[in-house]
Amino acid sequence: MSTGTRTSRQWLLTLPSLTWLAVFFVIPAILVILTAFRPADLQGGVGPGWTMDTLHELNDPAYLPILWRTFSLSAATTLICLVLGLPVAFQMARAGQRLRQVLLLLVIIPFLSNFLIRIFAWKSLLHPEGPLTKLLISLQLIPENAVLLHHSGTVLLVLVYTQLPFAILPLYAAAEKFDMGLLDAARDLGAGPWRAFAKVFVPGVRRGLSSAAIMVFVCCLGQYVIPQMVGGASDEMLGSKIAQRVFSDRNLPHASALAGGLMLAVLVPMLIVVLWQQFGRKEES
Amino acid sequence: MKRSWLPGFITLCVILFLFAPLVVLVVNSFNASRFGGEWEGFTWMWYEKLWAAGEIWESLLITLKIAISASLAAMVLGTLAAYALHRFRSGLQNVHHMLITLPLVMPDILMGMSLLALFVLTGLETGLLTIWIAHVTFCLSFVTMVVLGRLQDFDFTLLDAARDLGATQAQAVKKVLLPLLLPGVLAGGLLAFTLSIDDYVITFFVSGPGTTTLPLRVASMMKTSRSLPMINALSTLLIASTFLVAVCSHRLQRRA
Amino acid sequence: MDDFLVIDHVSKTFGTQRAVDDVSLTVAKGEAFSLLGPSGCGKTTLLRMIAGFERPDSGRILVNGQDITALPPEQRPVNTVFQNYALFPHLIVWENVAFGLRMSRRPREEIRSGVDRMLELVRLSEHARKRPAQLSGGQRQRVAIARALVNRPQVLLLDEPLAALDLKLRQHMLMELNTIHEQVGTTFIYVTHDQGEAMSLSSRIAVMNAGRVEQVDSPAHLYETPRTSFVASFIGDANFFTGTAVELQHEGYVRVYVDGLGSPLVLSNGTVASRQLLRLMVRPEKISLTLTRPASGERVNAFRGVVEDRAYFGTHTRYRIRSGEHSILAQLQRSRFSGGDIDPARGTEVWMSFHPDEGRVVRLEAAA
Repeated sequence: MSTGTRTSRQWLLTLPSLTWLAVFFVIPAILVILTAFRPADLQGGVGPGWTMDTLHELNDPAYLPILWRTFSLSAATTLICLVLGLPVAFQMARAGQRLRQVLLLLVIIPFLSNFLIRIFAWKSLLHPEGPLTKLLISLQLIPENAVLLHHSGTVLLVLVYTQLPFAILPLYAAAEKFDMGLLDAARDLGAGPWRAFAKVFVPGVRRGLSSAAIMVFVCCLGQYVIPQMVGGASDEMLGSKIAQRVFSDRNLPHASALAGGLMLAVLVPMLIVVLWQQFGRKEES
Repeated sequence: MKRSWLPGFITLCVILFLFAPLVVLVVNSFNASRFGGEWEGFTWMWYEKLWAAGEIWESLLITLKIAISASLAAMVLGTLAAYALHRFRSGLQNVHHMLITLPLVMPDILMGMSLLALFVLTGLETGLLTIWIAHVTFCLSFVTMVVLGRLQDFDFTLLDAARDLGATQAQAVKKVLLPLLLPGVLAGGLLAFTLSIDDYVITFFVSGPGTTTLPLRVASMMKTSRSLPMINALSTLLIASTFLVAVCSHRLQRRA
Repeated sequence: MDDFLVIDHVSKTFGTQRAVDDVSLTVAKGEAFSLLGPSGCGKTTLLRMIAGFERPDSGRILVNGQDITALPPEQRPVNTVFQNYALFPHLIVWENVAFGLRMSRRPREEIRSGVDRMLELVRLSEHARKRPAQLSGGQRQRVAIARALVNRPQVLLLDEPLAALDLKLRQHMLMELNTIHEQVGTTFIYVTHDQGEAMSLSSRIAVMNAGRVEQVDSPAHLYETPRTSFVASFIGDANFFTGTAVELQHEGYVRVYVDGLGSPLVLSNGTVASRQLLRLMVRPEKISLTLTRPASGERVNAFRGVVEDRAYFGTHTRYRIRSGEHSILAQLQRSRFSGGDIDPARGTEVWMSFHPDEGRVVRLEAAA
């Protein structure tokens, strides 16, 4: 086959998906960034011309607590998901074929279940008249009129609940490829189960760790449904602010500026992880 | 060698944690009590109310229409993309690969917002079409990843063998590659279908009047306390169908 | 027809590497021919060019007088049995075998009789409805052979046919392949790195090295009269010595001075000049071992050494013997009736000897 036909075949096969993503992914992203530099229109659209006003308005100190909360909640969720996900992935990888398939299925079902339903499940569980609240009151763990919902702790809880499967799956993918024989070797050389786990298994699945961490962290950064539904007024995250600007305030440039900021916040950790993975691969070879 | 019991214990706790709320939902869908705090007797009441709620079935229809058409489009685009990514190594494919993986990590809110910006700018009215476009966009990457995984396990000497036996390149693709790739493509399509049915945030941004998908309907129901128990019933039905889909997808992926 | 398959000055380069370097071969109709060589020697590339999966950079390939160089694989009268068999997993055995006939749109009756007959030939008729995954390695290979042969190709290419099989199965398949070849009469081209396979399956072998053909000959000639040291060492084992020609004798013999071994008399492989630097080869099984010096004479090459290592193999025993800076491999057949049998232990001093006819010059180097 001549190189000419090969190249044209490549273009023919690549063009459909490439064009689609260019038109419906890249261009919209650029549009958002551009909108940040335009003045707001009173009717909720964008006015003519360009301005740096929106960016200056972002300097508002009122944004700081929101940013801090978004980052710390995302970081906390990521940490908890990794700490819980590692042992689960480990267990799944070392289980027999049958059990492994069952566990995989058990993890995938919540993963595939409707996102809103999962939030709703907690909403009704933690409702003042709900079963969990009643149970905890009857066990005298919490006072009679305690409100479990609309609490910053709730936001963290539901975040972890929804993100856990996202963490477990890449961790499991990496754990499956891990050679369990290495752990036996470590034990043979005198390492206890904890040390073997920490010094051999964890580094062995670091690609899965970084994938899981990135997925969960980035997903949390953009969350707004969860804080809106189970959080209180003081639990706003960046995502909810953006949604507010778009739908309630109808201030598109503002929303775009915030979204642009979010985009940066997403791309920077991603870049770090990709570079780290590349670096790690060079080390291996 | 003694194995630690800790990972197994944690796994058990995690599984319980993941499933407990769902189990409570299912149980409460048969609970005569409004808030599920106490068991007030078995009833089909909420299911009956659900059955009678016409707008919910309308939403389901819209959701299914979008999900099926979006998965089909994503299956076609995704399979082509996966084949290109697997067969060719070039600067073009590096760019292609990056574009395919970015939507996987992009938060929904950004995707929703940017698509809305596009539609506002081009004057495209939000409705079925815009939702369909949005769904194809985020499903594309998932289908590509699934099919790419299958391609990496595919033995390409089979195509050589087909040609050696007299098949043209096109015949080889049609008679050998596609039949063997089909389970992977279907698995990807099923995943896309599930993601599309499930999507809330992106749909919220790009939907218009008259296009209330099921998740949007559920969200608005969550705001009115009157409909709360019906959501239990609806949730139970959705969980059951998710279970079916998961099992089917699992079977498809295993047929190596 | 002697030149049924003609490879005419074919070359192929990948990047900076010459995979096939100006190779010319002819194969007779109905012959069983082998391309033999280590990995990377170009044999697989050559095979792929005959099958049509690679295009030669220069040269032509002809089958039965027809130039097929520019033809795509699906139009060539050539079929391949792939190394990993490449059976279609989604088709049953019967459909696998029928695939080629279906592609050429043969009438239904012809397909049915052809497939049934071929399955009988390879003795797989009762497995016709099974999927490849349900068959053993040997059965899968037979399906691959049937699938290729049913199309009555003019040339059948077999890529490392026995590589994936275990020892017992390999021996069995060796005989089966020979039987099938006899029954079908098609020209077979084997590609292999295993000299035992090549020698048992083919009437002629082309030994390849680094893209070039070093020698094309029958197995016996390759073994007894290797032309280069590569061929000598690749087929069977060999001891090599470097020396200078000191005396040219009549009838093609030459006396060569080898440092530490004296001046053995060996067969020269062509014209040799006095004082020319030569490379000699002696096969291990042609060396005799004695504890005392053998009777000296013109026709006896003898020298001393010490046994360094001994390995027992049941049918034969191998000895590694050191003589000065030479490490020599000798192999003695264990036979009840051979007289004068010795089995020297490590450290024993022995005399090695070989007949001049068993030593030969393998490559003529430039004059010293």
